[in-house]
Amino acid sequence: MSQAAAEKHTVMVVGGGVTGLGIALALDGLGIETLILEKGPSLGGKVKDYDKIFPDFVSGRDIVNELIARVERVPRISCRTGTVMAGLKETDTGYAVSTNDHQRLEVGAIVLASGFEVFDARLQEEYGYGIYPNVINGPELESYLDPHGPTGGRLLRPFDGKPARRVAIIFCVGSRSKRLGNPYCSRICCSYSTKQAIEIMERDPGAGVTCFYMDIRTYGRGFEEMYQYAQNLGVKYIRGRVSECSVLPEGDIQVRAENTLLGKPVQGVFDLVSLSVGMMPCADAACLADLLGIERGKDGFFSGVDQYRAPHDTRREGIFLAGSVTGLKPIHDCLNEALSVAGRVAAYLNNHAG
Amino acid sequence: MAASGIDYGWRLQGKTVRLCADRSLMADESAHQMEKALRQMSMEYYVLDRCMQCGICSSACPQGLLHDDAPFSPRNFIQRARLGLLNLSEDELWKCTHCGHCQMMCPYEIPFLEVMISLRNLVVEQGAGHVPVSIRSALASIASGGNPWKADAAQRVAWLQGLDIPPVACEPARKVHLFLGCLAGYDPRARRTAQTAMRLLHLAGVPFEVLADEEVCCGDSVRRVGDLATFARLKQTNKRIMLSKGVHTIYTLSPHCYESIQTLYGWEENQTVRVMPFLKLLFQWMVDGVFALTDAPRGRVTYHDPCFFSKHQGLVDEPRQILKGLPGLEYVEMEHHGRKSLCCGGGGGGFWRDVAKGRRLAEVRLDEALATGADYVATSCPYCLAMLEDASKGDERYAKLEILDIGELVWKGVRP
Repeated sequence: MSQAAAEKHTVMVVGGGVTGLGIALALDGLGIETLILEKGPSLGGKVKDYDKIFPDFVSGRDIVNELIARVERVPRISCRTGTVMAGLKETDTGYAVSTNDHQRLEVGAIVLASGFEVFDARLQEEYGYGIYPNVINGPELESYLDPHGPTGGRLLRPFDGKPARRVAIIFCVGSRSKRLGNPYCSRICCSYSTKQAIEIMERDPGAGVTCFYMDIRTYGRGFEEMYQYAQNLGVKYIRGRVSECSVLPEGDIQVRAENTLLGKPVQGVFDLVSLSVGMMPCADAACLADLLGIERGKDGFFSGVDQYRAPHDTRREGIFLAGSVTGLKPIHDCLNEALSVAGRVAAYLNNHAG
Repeated sequence: MAASGIDYGWRLQGKTVRLCADRSLMADESAHQMEKALRQMSMEYYVLDRCMQCGICSSACPQGLLHDDAPFSPRNFIQRARLGLLNLSEDELWKCTHCGHCQMMCPYEIPFLEVMISLRNLVVEQGAGHVPVSIRSALASIASGGNPWKADAAQRVAWLQGLDIPPVACEPARKVHLFLGCLAGYDPRARRTAQTAMRLLHLAGVPFEVLADEEVCCGDSVRRVGDLATFARLKQTNKRIMLSKGVHTIYTLSPHCYESIQTLYGWEENQTVRVMPFLKLLFQWMVDGVFALTDAPRGRVTYHDPCFFSKHQGLVDEPRQILKGLPGLEYVEMEHHGRKSLCCGGGGGGFWRDVAKGRRLAEVRLDEALATGADYVATSCPYCLAMLEDASKGDERYAKLEILDIGELVWKGVRP
């Protein structure tokens, strides 16, 4: 049986999200040809669903659309959507990759930028996600606040479509919990939730937003100022992890927690409860790690060989990591990693030319 | 990523764990000394270092539902323990009823109940604080007579004499045993529950035997109030008796007896004693259709989950299926049920404490039962039964509720 000749590419980027797009464009700037392999039906990843991103409330969608437009204009970048790797073999010049649609590719280097998955809030049973309609997760709240979203940007209760004005946001859902297998901090939830709280209050100053948190970790540049601004707008922060959400007859959600700073139990009734879900390694992380023969840490995210001196390198030559595959980071950091991995890949190709 | 190589502090075991080696931030030197002393004396103390003070435990603790300005708060307790600010003579140490809701919810899986046992042990066995009188007297009585009420050990099974349950002859290998527990031995109400269980066994044609007056307290509450030495003796006695009688399957009427005999008695591999809750046998009978059922009793029934079945053992479906299988009854659920159910207040030595009316966990529970419009509150633990009944006595509001053991409710519906 004869096989079609393999298609040749210099670099293959796995993942067409904001990191993958950034990498391809950065490599193009260095004169290097790239193929983007995207599992989903279109480019843009998760960020294309974010109307506003923290800390400066610019449009994530605009950023991604601009990146996609540039990628499409550049002849040195080609894309395949709906495609995943199925097999990998080492060759003299790099790697031979086979795909789910039986294509054969020959590539000089691979960059893994396959991103993350949000935590499935059904696993934290006490909050009733998936059971009570008015308990939603962070990405869903994001879509309710999005003018291009299902409600045209109006914050409505899924239970009866009435406007939601009393909103609770529960932080650290599926993060910082050994019980749920995710002991790590997801880093961006405090900030994205605070951003959402600000959006709600700015649109409806009469609304009441209560955030139940454990520690506020608004660590990046401008993040803390955003947190201060939220408090100026009247967003209430209660330090205490919620133990239980229960539903009342009208679909309202009753929330129980301890205000740990006052040492008193608190109970509140809300129209809408949003769970600030943490992040997990991408769904096929285990599969990818096996296929590529690279390591993951205890937390399930991928690990490079040395996060100080060679942050993008894996133990296999010519395979690199970038973006949130190595742990959660804000969009801004992902784009920075795209630039730095491009430099690393260029140096690698330079040393392995021919 | 090098971060994956870090072993997080809370993963480590033993006293080497120090999230903050220098605790000189402590303002008060005596607190510093107290903390150091506790750390040396209590093996369980180190787990408190993991706590991030999120407060989910205190929010889950049933005591937060009491009308109390400063309810018991595990989070606050842990914080003070870590800073050496605990006063082991305070009543607070005895408020925890070991329902286990806090440790079920804890994101870092802190075994709070073991910490409690360890601290109470310091008080009970090493005199680090004051033991409430009622608990001291119960412990003394168990240590000398094997039961908490200073009652005659021989009286434990005297009531069995007048019982109209003829023995079934069979070879010993087919015979199962029944572990009655202290309450059934001495408390008239629990005795009725035990009699019903025995009648059901008889009706189902299961040959059984009780351990007679040789059985002593299972030791669950003894251990949970910190008297580990007495617990060890009780355990030895019961094990010796069970082995000498050739027990192969033993059914317990109380989830407390079940948990301690099953998980804490440390059975060797060659000691093939199978411990089972009577509830499971009852469930099996219902599944197999062993009894012909009438539609008596009639009305609404709700089920109060004993914590030692629900939170400790995850045994929540069987009792509901039993009740739903009774034709005359409509099953209703309380607001908190299953693993989230609320404690009656009887566990962890709570049964031996005197709590004033209006501040009892059982009252909170009965209010939830009332809200369902139930006629019957069924449960499957003699502590729960007694705590709920005690709280309902003399209170008009609860007059409508009949509180009984799940076996008694089945018995009411059984056509003999």
